[in-house]
Amino acid sequence: MTQPARPPADDGTLVRIRGLTTVLNGKSIFDALDMDIPRGKVTAIMGPSGTGKTTLLKHITGQMHADAGSIHVDGRNVAGLSREELYKLREGVGYLFQNSALLTDFDVFENVAFPLRQHTKLPEVLIRNLVLMKLQAVGLRGAARLMPNELSGGMARRVALARAIVFDPQLILYDEPFVGLDPVALNQVLKLIRTLNKTLGITSVLVSHELAAVQQIADHVMLLSNGKVVAQGDPKTIADDGSPWTRQFFGGEADGPIPFRYPAGDYATELGFVGAPK
Amino acid sequence: MSAREPLRTNVVTQSLAQIGLCGLFLLTLLAAIPRSFRYLRETTRQLWFVGAMSLTIIMVCGLFVGMVLMLQLYHVLSIFGGTSASGMVVALSVYRELGPVVTALLFAGRAGTAITAEIGLMRATDQISAMEMMAVDPIAYVATPRFLAGLIAMPLLCCVFCAMAVFGGHLVGVTWLGIDNGTFWSNMTAVVDVRTDIVNGVLLKSLAFGAVVSLIAVFQGFTTPPTSEGVAYATTRTVVASSIAILALDFVLTAFLM
Repeated sequence: MTQPARPPADDGTLVRIRGLTTVLNGKSIFDALDMDIPRGKVTAIMGPSGTGKTTLLKHITGQMHADAGSIHVDGRNVAGLSREELYKLREGVGYLFQNSALLTDFDVFENVAFPLRQHTKLPEVLIRNLVLMKLQAVGLRGAARLMPNELSGGMARRVALARAIVFDPQLILYDEPFVGLDPVALNQVLKLIRTLNKTLGITSVLVSHELAAVQQIADHVMLLSNGKVVAQGDPKTIADDGSPWTRQFFGGEADGPIPFRYPAGDYATELGFVGAPK
Repeated sequence: MSAREPLRTNVVTQSLAQIGLCGLFLLTLLAAIPRSFRYLRETTRQLWFVGAMSLTIIMVCGLFVGMVLMLQLYHVLSIFGGTSASGMVVALSVYRELGPVVTALLFAGRAGTAITAEIGLMRATDQISAMEMMAVDPIAYVATPRFLAGLIAMPLLCCVFCAMAVFGGHLVGVTWLGIDNGTFWSNMTAVVDVRTDIVNGVLLKSLAFGAVVSLIAVFQGFTTPPTSEGVAYATTRTVVASSIAILALDFVLTAFLM
C-alpha cells in the first residue's frame, strides 16, 4: 500500500481518504476513491446496494485493508497502525453494525456495559448509572434485563446504538441506522444522533438509503457509485442538482448511469433463444 | 496424469494448508495467553461449560466401559483360570488407553462441537467483529479461555472417567461375577504404576488430547464461513479432525511413553 505524507490532524478533516482502491473477488469496489469527512459534522454516505458503503466503514476502522491508497483518521494512517495502536484508535470510535451484533450471552444492560467493563476500572455504581443513562437516551431503560433474543430488530438496533455511544466517542459510524425502526423510534434516533453531534461535537458518518431521514440530520451527503463519489453536497438540495446520478438514485429509476443489473451475458443467449433451431 | 490427479493434489494441498494455518493459529493462541489472564471470569465460565457440563456423559460412559470390559475379560480369562487378574487388566486398559482416548472422543463430541458452533455463530452474527470494534481482542477474550478451559478440563474428566470405569469393573466383577474383593484391589495396586500408568497414561495423554481437541474446535469456529452451512460443516470437521488426531496422537504418545 502507498504511504502518502501524514496530513495535518487539525485541518477540519477527521477522516481523509486518498486513492482508495479495493478489489474483492475480482470485482473492483473502490477505484482511487478520494473522500474527506469533516470533524464535528454529520456526513451521510448513500449509494445503491453493493456499492461498498459498509466496506468503506470497515476500511475506516481498519477491519479491512485496501489494495492501494490511504485512510487517515485523526491524522493517523489506519493501515500503518500496530494492533495496540489500532485498538487505541477504536476506543474513540463507535460503530453501529447493520445487524446490531449484540453479544447473545449477555442481557441488554451487560451489552451496553461491555466496553466500559473492558476498558475502565469504574466502580459498579458509576457503570450502572452510565449504562442506564445511555439506555434512557434510546428509550430502553426498562428493557435492561432482557436478552437479545427477546428484542425486536428495532430494539436491538437501539441497544447497539446505546453501546456505540457509551464512551462518547469522537467518531461514530452508523451502518444503516434507520432500518427496522418504527416512526417514533426513528424520530428519537434521529434526534439522538443530532444531539450527540451538536452537544458533544461527535463526528458522525452514516450509511443509509433513507433520504428523508438523512435530510433531517446530515450536514453533507456523498453519493457513492462504481467505486467513486459521483455526487456530493447539501442533503436538502442534492436530489435536485441535475446530475444523472442523483436523478436516477433519488428518483428510483431503473435506467441510468447506476446499473440496476449485476453484470451478465446476453439474456437471449442464456435463455437459449439465439442460435436455437426454429 | 489422470483426470482425478489435479483434484487429489488440490485436496492434499488444502489439507496441508489447513494444518499450517492451524499451527499458526496455535502460535497466536499461545501468544494471547498472557492477555487472556484478565478474562479469568470468562475462562472459569468456559471451564464450567466444557468441564462440569460434560460430567454426566463422561461418568455414564466410564461406568459402562468398565462394566463391559470386565464382562469380556472375565469370560476370556476364565478359559485360562485367570479371572483374578480381571480387575488388574481393566485398570491397565483404562488408565493406559481407553480412559484418555474415549474421554477425548466424548469431549470432542460434547464440548468441541459446542465450542465450534458457538464461535461460528458469533462470527456469522458479527459478534466477533463487534468485539474487534470495541477494541476487545477476540483471540484473548473468546478463543484462549475456551482453549485453556479444554486443556484444564480434559485431565480432570479423564480421572473421573477412569474412576467410574474401575467402579464399573468392580460392580460387575466383584458384585455380580463373584471375584474376591481383596484380590481385585490388591492385584490392581500391585501392577498399576503411578508414573507409567497414571502420570503418563491418564494425565499426560489427556492433557495432549485436550490441547488438540480444543485447538481444533476453536480453530474451526474462527475459520468457518459465516453461513449456516459453514457452521454445520465446521462442526462436523471438528469431530472428524479431532477423532483422527486423537487416535494418531495416541499411537505416537504410546510409542514414546512405553
